[in-house]
Amino acid sequence: MTDPLLDPAEFDPNQAAAPETSKAEQDAPRRRYQLKDDTGFDEVPKKYRRFYRRWKGPGDSLAPNEVICPVCKVVIRSARDLRPGDRVYCMPCFSRLTVIRGESGRLEARVEY
Amino acid sequence: MSDFLNAYSIQTWLESCPQGYLEDTEYGHAPGQKEPELILENPTLRQESIQSTVQLVVGERAALAASSGLINSAPDYPSKRFLATQTLDEARHVEIFTQRLYDLGVKKDELEDVISQYANPHLVKFAEVLLEKVDKGDFLAGVVGQNIVLEGMAFSVFEMMQASNVELNPKFAKTLSGTIADERRHVGFGENRIGSLLQEHPEKKPEIEQMQKDMTYHMLATFADSFRGNAPAMEETRKIAQEAIPDQKHQVWHGTDLGSADPAELENVLADTVLKEFKTRLGRIGLEYQEPAKP
Repeated sequence: MTDPLLDPAEFDPNQAAAPETSKAEQDAPRRRYQLKDDTGFDEVPKKYRRFYRRWKGPGDSLAPNEVICPVCKVVIRSARDLRPGDRVYCMPCFSRLTVIRGESGRLEARVEY
Repeated sequence: MSDFLNAYSIQTWLESCPQGYLEDTEYGHAPGQKEPELILENPTLRQESIQSTVQLVVGERAALAASSGLINSAPDYPSKRFLATQTLDEARHVEIFTQRLYDLGVKKDELEDVISQYANPHLVKFAEVLLEKVDKGDFLAGVVGQNIVLEGMAFSVFEMMQASNVELNPKFAKTLSGTIADERRHVGFGENRIGSLLQEHPEKKPEIEQMQKDMTYHMLATFADSFRGNAPAMEETRKIAQEAIPDQKHQVWHGTDLGSADPAELENVLADTVLKEFKTRLGRIGLEYQEPAKP
């Protein structure tokens, strides 16, 4: 995993290709997302704020480039869509996570110690 | 040592916390924000606010003693650095909640008497169980007790209180939102650091699980006293607030309408939420949640 404190131009909370992803999924091109600069999230250094947002509760939903940190409940946003096996980093609580497909079929994150 | 420990830096803390969500705040809220007149002028609401704030001061004093006490027993410098930032966070929490007592009209020379008068005995015992481990220099048990059990409890308590106060008391809600942000780092440190250390010391699990059971009992007893044991005062408080602000928007927290639920329902939703989180967090780091006797 890339050091999260690298220059933000190189930083993406989503790092590395997914080893658990099927070949077809790996080969499919990933959609890129333009992350807005200000999500209102101010709990990490300014240059990383666009990669996180607060979960707004039951009426909220996750985009294909987003996953919830199970440790601190903040939404992690990647510059491209996420797939099972992707590794993401939650800077607000320092958790290293792996994206998995949950029982409901939705993408979830598992903590790696 | 894993690279992830490098994230526990003072620089990151400075940019996230004092230069982030605490920028331009005064005791955790916007400068000039005041306690609502309704609370200050109504003796029942004021008394209820003082009583609940005292519990926050007691909890945060325990957290301050624990986090500072754990620095010397931490096995590596990144953990010591993190705990140093946590110590400042906890000292800030003690200060802002103490300041709230002053804002509510408690005089400085009465502070300790007011805290002694209202501190819940079970919350005091909860802190004693934790601090016994810290005083023995038991880093693993101390961090589980502090950063998973105490902080896990605080995380949910603050969230519930914040939701309850968004409409009625924006000053206090803002103060709480800053503490919630701090708790994210603290629970994250607890899980991530202990998750890896426990894999190296599985023999410590039974002792840590017993501590969790004891702390959980005292936590649930504190909730029981604060809700069921305080039901008439809570109902009276709510009645006064609803009469004063009839069109107040009710907040829903974990499926419960905080504006209409009775004290027993509020206790249940808080206890269920905290215990569910405990089970999940402890399970993730390889500990089995131990159910205490029902208080």
